[in-house]
Amino acid sequence: MIEFQSVSKQYSTDAYALRDVSLNIGKGELVYLAGPSGAGKSTLMKMVAAVERPTSGVVTVNGQDIGRIRKAGIPFLRRNLGLIFQHQRLLNDRNILGNVMLPLLVTGAPRAQAEGRARAALDKVGLGDRAKAMPLELSGGEQQRVAVARAIVNRPQIILADEPTANLDRVAADKVLDALRAFNAVGVTCVISTHDDQVLDSAAARVIRLEHGQLVGGGV
Amino acid sequence: MSPWFRQHGFALGAALSTVRKAPGSFLFNVLVVAFALMLPLAGITLLDNVRPLSQQLSVDPEISVFLKLDSTREDASALQPRIREIAAAGGKAEVEFIPREKALAAMKETSGLGDVIDTLGENPLPDSFKMRLASSSAAGQVDAITEQLRALPGVDVVQVDSIWVKRLAAALNVLRLALLLLAVSLGIVVIAVVFNTIRLQVLTQKEEIAVSKLLGATDNFIHRPFYYTGALLGLFAGAVALGAVLLALKPLNGAIADFARLYASEFQLAPLGVLETAGVLAISAGLGLIGAMLSVQRHLARVR
Repeated sequence: MIEFQSVSKQYSTDAYALRDVSLNIGKGELVYLAGPSGAGKSTLMKMVAAVERPTSGVVTVNGQDIGRIRKAGIPFLRRNLGLIFQHQRLLNDRNILGNVMLPLLVTGAPRAQAEGRARAALDKVGLGDRAKAMPLELSGGEQQRVAVARAIVNRPQIILADEPTANLDRVAADKVLDALRAFNAVGVTCVISTHDDQVLDSAAARVIRLEHGQLVGGGV
Repeated sequence: MSPWFRQHGFALGAALSTVRKAPGSFLFNVLVVAFALMLPLAGITLLDNVRPLSQQLSVDPEISVFLKLDSTREDASALQPRIREIAAAGGKAEVEFIPREKALAAMKETSGLGDVIDTLGENPLPDSFKMRLASSSAAGQVDAITEQLRALPGVDVVQVDSIWVKRLAAALNVLRLALLLLAVSLGIVVIAVVFNTIRLQVLTQKEEIAVSKLLGATDNFIHRPFYYTGALLGLFAGAVALGAVLLALKPLNGAIADFARLYASEFQLAPLGVLETAGVLAISAGLGLIGAMLSVQRHLARVR
């Protein structure tokens, strides 16, 4: 489902974000991406979402070569991905229902259908009763769960969560991770990046470790 | 509803929502664009009214040759071949002899002073020739013909009647060209204003655009609301400009009516017709759309 073959990403002559990384993530797998800040976790995730292209090597997502994908094809690749960001990136000019509807509206889904599915997604993360709340009225943990709902609303094949528990207390972090594990249990491939040792210690799943842009464990 | 209509409906809704969020700013931009459109619109309205008037008037130069009062009909007959010869030298021309009796009858009919003329007893008008030259005759040729006619024996007065109409037509052509240049320059101003408005909107909605892209929005989905905003801005500005010109016609027509009455005319400036109005609205919406398209192409590529 996700394959990296000798992938490097170089921003300048001596600045490598990733160096010769090879790894494979199968369909329905739950994978943690571990490493300190600057290890290359975010760059790796950005490549899966076609935000960045590799300097060398091949990245394949759902059979599509990210290095060769046409610009017009990128939105359609992303519609099969659920992206969760460290800082949620919720839009503060609309309520959380509006935020969760957005991935469906951009695909041209009818508004009524988008609203129904967004409400269902909010129910799944335990925020069904807060649909009309504005993002800034929610706690950090609740905002992150809205981001999870937004990521799953279009029923993606892959969820990419970049440091979803950073800045959250333990209870809120567990709720977010529980939600992600629940989606993985129904067959959604989940890639969760973290540098939280507590999360990694309790992880009953493969952990891919990166340091200074290089793979140091869990690649295959 | 088909996905195409749904997508455009969504884009229009998003554009209207942007307007609702900052109505003051939108209104201000509408007024700026409307002011830029007003001047060429007023000019077009004026031209639209004056053009039929100038077209009704003949622009072929006409020369009237009045004979001396004591000239006899035989003298006139003797002059006719020479006058035709001079006229033919200037190109294609028509020459008509107007006997003094016919001239008097025409004067009585058109001047409304029949009774006054009757009191004169004697016909004060001379025999005359009316010469209509081809419109292609150059002003220089008309002058040369006039000089030759003046030199003929028995000719009292030679009067060039219609050269002013030609001058009016030429002046209208200059005005039309000036208006076209003005419209083009102000069209560029409109595009620049919309360009800047959309640039500011792109900056304001930078985060929404970036998030939408990451969630799978196509470029068309992101661009469309800005296109609608630009077109709406142009459309409203065109409507405001048309309304302002329409309002200005009322006091202007009052003044024109007083002036026209002096010439026994009912001339009034009429507003643009339905087709012209629709055309103006389409052009102003089009200018807004062009400004938005240029701005979006320029600024959205930078949002990641």
